[in-house]
Amino acid sequence: MTGIELRGVSRWYGNVVAVNDITMTVGPGVTGLLGPNGAGKSTLLHMVAGFLQPSRGQVTLGGEPAWRNPGLYRKAGIVTERESAYPFLTGREFVRAAACLHELADPVAATRRAIGLVDMVGPMDRRIATYSKGMRQRIRVAAALVHDPEVLLLDEPFNGMDPRQRLHMMDLLGRLGGQGRTILFSSHILEEVEQLSGTIQVMVAGRLAASGDFRAIRRLMTSRPHVFLVRSGDDRRLGAALIGRPAVSGVELTRGGLQVSASDYGAFAAEIARLTRDEGIRLRELLPADESLESVFSYLVSS
Amino acid sequence: MSAYNQTVASITFRAVLGRRRALLFAIPALVLIGTAAVLRLTHPADPAWPTRILGSFGFSVVLPLTALIIGTSVLGAEIEDGSIIHVLATPVRRRAVILTKYVVAVATTVVFACVPELLAGIIATGGLTRFAVGLFVGALAGAVIYNALFVSLSAATTRALAVGLLYVLLWEGVLANFTGGARVLSIGHYALAMAVAVAPGSGIDPGISLAAACVLGAVVTVAALVLAIRKLSAFSLRADAA
Amino acid sequence: MSPETTGVIHDLGYQRYDGGRLGRMQIVRTLYWYSLRAAFGLGRGARAKILPVGLFALMCAPAVVEAVIVARGGTRAVPYDTYVFPLRVVVMTIFVAAQAPELVSKDRRCRVLPLYFARPLHRGDYPLAKFAALTVACLAMIDVPLVLLYAGTISSLHSGSAIWGETRALLPGLLIGALWSVTLTVVGLAIASFSGRRAYTTGAIAVFFFLSWSLAQFLVTVGGRGPVTQPTLAGLVSPFTILDGVRLWLGGTATGPLPAVGRYGPAYGLSLLVLLVVPALVLAARYRKEDAA
Repeated sequence: MTGIELRGVSRWYGNVVAVNDITMTVGPGVTGLLGPNGAGKSTLLHMVAGFLQPSRGQVTLGGEPAWRNPGLYRKAGIVTERESAYPFLTGREFVRAAACLHELADPVAATRRAIGLVDMVGPMDRRIATYSKGMRQRIRVAAALVHDPEVLLLDEPFNGMDPRQRLHMMDLLGRLGGQGRTILFSSHILEEVEQLSGTIQVMVAGRLAASGDFRAIRRLMTSRPHVFLVRSGDDRRLGAALIGRPAVSGVELTRGGLQVSASDYGAFAAEIARLTRDEGIRLRELLPADESLESVFSYLVSS
Repeated sequence: MSAYNQTVASITFRAVLGRRRALLFAIPALVLIGTAAVLRLTHPADPAWPTRILGSFGFSVVLPLTALIIGTSVLGAEIEDGSIIHVLATPVRRRAVILTKYVVAVATTVVFACVPELLAGIIATGGLTRFAVGLFVGALAGAVIYNALFVSLSAATTRALAVGLLYVLLWEGVLANFTGGARVLSIGHYALAMAVAVAPGSGIDPGISLAAACVLGAVVTVAALVLAIRKLSAFSLRADAA
Repeated sequence: MSPETTGVIHDLGYQRYDGGRLGRMQIVRTLYWYSLRAAFGLGRGARAKILPVGLFALMCAPAVVEAVIVARGGTRAVPYDTYVFPLRVVVMTIFVAAQAPELVSKDRRCRVLPLYFARPLHRGDYPLAKFAALTVACLAMIDVPLVLLYAGTISSLHSGSAIWGETRALLPGLLIGALWSVTLTVVGLAIASFSGRRAYTTGAIAVFFFLSWSLAQFLVTVGGRGPVTQPTLAGLVSPFTILDGVRLWLGGTATGPLPAVGRYGPAYGLSLLVLLVVPALVLAARYRKEDAA
């Protein structure tokens, strides 16, 4: 019962609607909130974190309302986008303070564990003022993890991290998600979301454009043809046969194989099996050519 | 106890005292004590200036100005740069956050304004006279009430310092001295009334009675803190920085 | 398929600009204009305007009241060169304390100084533009009420010589106002340039101006024989009383906080000079450093 649930949530500032009637459920595992800048991702995360009141609708975490509910933070950890840790504290003191504020029974041990998780044991006794941007980000993640929360919310967590730190953080989040926690993070960088999460929520201009597994989303977009790469014993003959079928909208002979644009995924799958059997062509490989999140995203955004 | 949180207190103390800002509220205190000392050396017999330096300079300028700087920095700085989130994203009750920071502000103001007022009073009147003690008590009351107002302003607006300046300089400094009615809403005069109650016959006229001052002072303090708690409970993050 | 190992730069139609470019003067002038607008909250949200506009209205209030009184046949109580001195002190303290950081600390905080200095803008141009902007803003705050007072007064006058008399009285007031503007601006900006946090610098400016003013007020009325408490020298503690001292030295009447200046006139003049030069040097130095960001 640790999911995040939004029902009809909207938020506007005067005439500007930042979040427009969003209903979604986020379950255990890692979910990426994807969208271009200005899509309302931060606004949504702030509402989920209980730091912004929805103009309409309800936000609940594990059944509890998010707004005006300090008890919520016993099971939720938040890492906001603005870097703002106390510069006069050392990393260890900062995480230890978070542990004490969460009223943990053994703050010292929890601090040690959390700092170890984000790989900041070396610099932990230096003042935060001396940290780089990525280090500050990591120590804030440690502070958000110190009380072992079931829900973790991160707003653009990979900002300012170098590739090695990013990999480490992705690994950490992946592991945490694998433990059954609910992790919701936002990003406008496709590769991050693609590598880390299986489930995505796509936001465009304040509206929820798509949610779920991105491959499944892709398949739902039947208005655009699916593109497959087919390798067979006789590509040319297969291509000639395929172009005659109604499920196929285009065929191209390339050096890598046969590129087939299919307008109806289901029908095409059935067709190709029958065709290759009837024509006696050996089918070696059938791959979707554009399953990457990038193509999903650009299709969604441009439509 | 859900009204005081030691972690919040230590962070706030370190934030308030550990920076260049501490100079800002050390300077008025030093000026007060220094001036009193110099005047004592040069005019030991003149009876008029002790009242005035402690009353109109120490009480009406140093105390509210110091309380303003301190009161707006215990909460205002963290709200402005967003680091208040680290305290708010925990189960700590908002009431505890406000009250703890308020206590830190009052304690700091006592050290940097009330005690200097007492020291200047001792220097000016040549000992621990009733007058000096009276003004010290009044300054304590002032610290309590002023900081409630300024902490509340910090929770309500990002321009708390400017609004506070308007109040101290304009309202208390100019208007309250000219029009009698405005004294009812002047914290400085509440504190003055309490000072005069302890040390009557000092020649200072606070303009309102002790009873009125106590009641109004208590009302202002409680109302300001309650407002601050409510504001912090509904704290919202705007999506853009700065 | 073999991977491409060469790179190509595509022609996106970007064209070099070979036409005329506006020079340094234009940059300074734009920065000045933009800062002047910012000093009154123009070009920002409504909330930014409340304080400066409110303070301006407050400053004009005595002028309006006096104009009404004169129209009804009463006599003028407010002089041009000191106006209502306590009100002026309070309003200008709050104005400079609130707006100088708005002009200067905000740029430092948001780290846009490298953006400015990456343009053909010399290191001294930036503080110069800011100084010009805030001086003009202060000038508006101080002199416009004087002009309003003047307009209100002469509208009830009928003889040419009376109007000429009023005009002659107005001009020194305007000049004093200009002196105030320059002094308060340079001190305020110098303090504000030290930090990017608005709250610090606002507090520092407010404490400096108001504490020194209260101290001066107090010292001026303490009689006695010691040098620090001479009524005429006590004004050196505060910029406001230094300005008033200079005004007295230049022949003004004792309508301000200082009773007289006497032979200490040159001391006040010298102090004013120091008060102008030292902050100006500090201000220039703050932006000359290599890492002024």
